[in-house]
Amino acid sequence: MRLKTARKVGIRVLPMGEQTRLAAKVIAAHVEGFMRLECRVLDPMPPPDFALDPQRLQYDAGRIVEHLEAHCCDECVKVVGVLGVDLFVPVFSHVFGEARLGGGAALVSLYRLERTEEGRRSAPELALERAAKVALHELGHLFSLTHCSDPGCLMHFSGDLAGLDATRLLFCRYCRDFLPAFAARGQAVEAGLV
Amino acid sequence: MDSKLRILIVDDERIVRESFKHWFANAGHAVGAAASADEALVRLASEVYDLLFVDIKMPGKSGLELLEQVRQEFPEASVVIITAYGSIESAVQAMKMGASDYLLKPFKPEQLNLVLEKIIQQRRLSEQYRYLKGTLEQITRFDDIIGRSAPMQKIFSLIPEVAASDASVLLIGETGTGKELVAKAIHAKSRRAHYPFVPINCGAMSESLLESELFGHQKGAFTGAQQARKGFLEVVAGGTLFLDEVGEVSSKMQVDLLRVLQDKKVMRLGSRQAVTVDFRLISATSRDLAHQIAEGAFREDFFYRINVIQIDIPPLRRRKEDIPLLVAHFLEKLGHETTRKVDRISSGALEALAAYDWPGNVRELENAVERAVVLAKSRTLGQADFAFLQASPAGRAADATLKEVEEAHIRKVLADSDGNVTRAARVLGINRVTLHKKIHRLGL
Repeated sequence: MRLKTARKVGIRVLPMGEQTRLAAKVIAAHVEGFMRLECRVLDPMPPPDFALDPQRLQYDAGRIVEHLEAHCCDECVKVVGVLGVDLFVPVFSHVFGEARLGGGAALVSLYRLERTEEGRRSAPELALERAAKVALHELGHLFSLTHCSDPGCLMHFSGDLAGLDATRLLFCRYCRDFLPAFAARGQAVEAGLV
Repeated sequence: MDSKLRILIVDDERIVRESFKHWFANAGHAVGAAASADEALVRLASEVYDLLFVDIKMPGKSGLELLEQVRQEFPEASVVIITAYGSIESAVQAMKMGASDYLLKPFKPEQLNLVLEKIIQQRRLSEQYRYLKGTLEQITRFDDIIGRSAPMQKIFSLIPEVAASDASVLLIGETGTGKELVAKAIHAKSRRAHYPFVPINCGAMSESLLESELFGHQKGAFTGAQQARKGFLEVVAGGTLFLDEVGEVSSKMQVDLLRVLQDKKVMRLGSRQAVTVDFRLISATSRDLAHQIAEGAFREDFFYRINVIQIDIPPLRRRKEDIPLLVAHFLEKLGHETTRKVDRISSGALEALAAYDWPGNVRELENAVERAVVLAKSRTLGQADFAFLQASPAGRAADATLKEVEEAHIRKVLADSDGNVTRAARVLGINRVTLHKKIHRLGL
C-alpha cells in the first residue's frame, strides 16, 4: 500500500533581508518563465546570524543551505534564498551563489552582484539581471545539471562578474532539453507520483 | 580525453572536504575524499584518480610526504597543493617536488577553475603523447619480445646474428610461445625489412588451398579460377615468408617447396612459365619433426633445407621469472587499447600466476590478463581476479591412473629442472637412485 504524502508544489523564493524583496520578485518571474513551474515569493526573513563567521565577516553559504533544506523545503519542490550579505564557502574567498547537486535549497548573494569589479555600485537593472542568472544557474544544479562547457550558457561556470556578464540569459540547447525533463521528474517524484 | 576528472580531496578538515566536494560535483567531476594521507593512499591503490587536492598541513603524514609517495607510486595522478597564507615556502617546495600547481586558501572560485582548466589541458596533451607513443610502439613492436630470463636473452642475442644472414630458420616451440614474434623480429632486423613479411599458417589450410596460395594460378587452371593470381611466393618479392606449423605440410608440398628453395623459381598452377622468386624462409613448428622424420611423415631433405639455423623457444613454464615483466607489458598494452584503468598487480596474484603451468604459454597469459582486466573491480589485479586459472588442465585429469599421474609429474619436474636428475629428485622428495630407476621403468 502506498502512503499518501503531502503534495509539494512549485518553487519558492525567500528574501532574507528587506532589501532583497525586489530581487526575489525578479528571480521568481525568471524562474517561472524558464522552469515552467509555479514560483512564489515567500515573506521575508532576516539574514541568518548563525551563519556569520566573525573572523571573515562573511556568511557561511553551506550552513545557510543546510538550514533552508531542513526548515523550508516541506511544502515546495525547491527553495531559493536571496541575501544581501557576502557569502563564502571555506575554500573560496566568496561565492555569488550556492547549491548542491540535486539538493533542495539554493542561495543567491546580491552583495557582489550590485557592485562593479572596482567596487562602485552597478546599475540596478544589471544587478537584477546578474541575480536572475545566478539563481537560474544554482537552480540548474538543484535539478542535477552540472557546469556546461558552452560559455554562453547559464550553466557555464562564471567565477567573476565579467564572466557572468558575458553569459547570456539562456540555457544552451543541451541544458534546456534536459531541464524540463529534470524539473518534471523532480516534481513527479516529490509529489509521490513516480 | 573527457574533460571530466576523477578528483580526490585530501584534507583533515571535514568542512573543506565537503565544500570542495560540492563544487566539483556541480562541475560534473567524480569526487572522492580522504581525511588523511594514509587514507588517500588506500583509496589510490583501489581506484584511479586523475587529480589530487592535498592540504599541506595534516596530522600524521604531511601533504608533502603524500606528494612524494604519489609521484613515485601513482605518477599518472596530478597533485595540486592547498596551503594557507604564510606557508608559501612549502608551496614552492611542493612545486619542486612535482606538484602541478598550488592554491592559497581561501582562493577565488575562478582561480580553482583556472587550475582545473590547466590540468585538463596538461592531461589532454599527455594522453595524446601516450596514445601516439603507444601507436608508434605498436608499429615498431616487431622486436618487442619480452623476457629477461637466460633462455630469452640467448634468443635476443641470436636474432641480430641470424637476421644478418639469409639462411633458412626453423623456430621450434610450443603453441603460444611467440614464434611469429621472433620471426617478425628476424625480418625487421634483416636487409629485407623494407619488403613484405608474409605469414602463412600451414595447419589452417587444405593441401590444395595451400598450393594455390603459395604458388598462385593461371586463369582457368581449375574450376573457379576466373582470374590469374600471384601466389605468396611471388607476392613476398624480396621479403620474408613465414610458414607456421610447417609440420602440417603434406609430403607432396614438401617436394614442391624443396624445389623452390633450391631453384628459387616457381610456376603458377596451370602455367609452364617459371618465375624467379627472392625470399627468405622462416618456418616454425610445435611438433617434434625428428620424430616425424623417423615415422616417415616428414621429408629429411626438406627438414635440412628449412633447418639451417634452429632456434628453440622455451615454454613459459620454463621461464616463469619473465611473468611479472610480461604482465606489466600486457597491462600497459591493454591500457592503450581499452578504456579500463587497471595498471597494477598484487604480489599474491603474481605468485598465483607463477604457480600455474601455462600450457597455452604467453598467449594464454595475455588472454588471462585481458580477462582479469575486463572483470577487475579495482585498479590492482588481485589473486581473486585469476581464480579461473585454478582449473588447470592437469587438475582436470580425474580419470588418469596413478601411473599416468606419476609419469606426467616426473616428466614435468624433470623438464622444469632442465633434465638435471639430482635437482629433480630433490624436488620430488626421493633419492637420485630411485628417480633413475623410475625414469628407466617409465621409459622417460
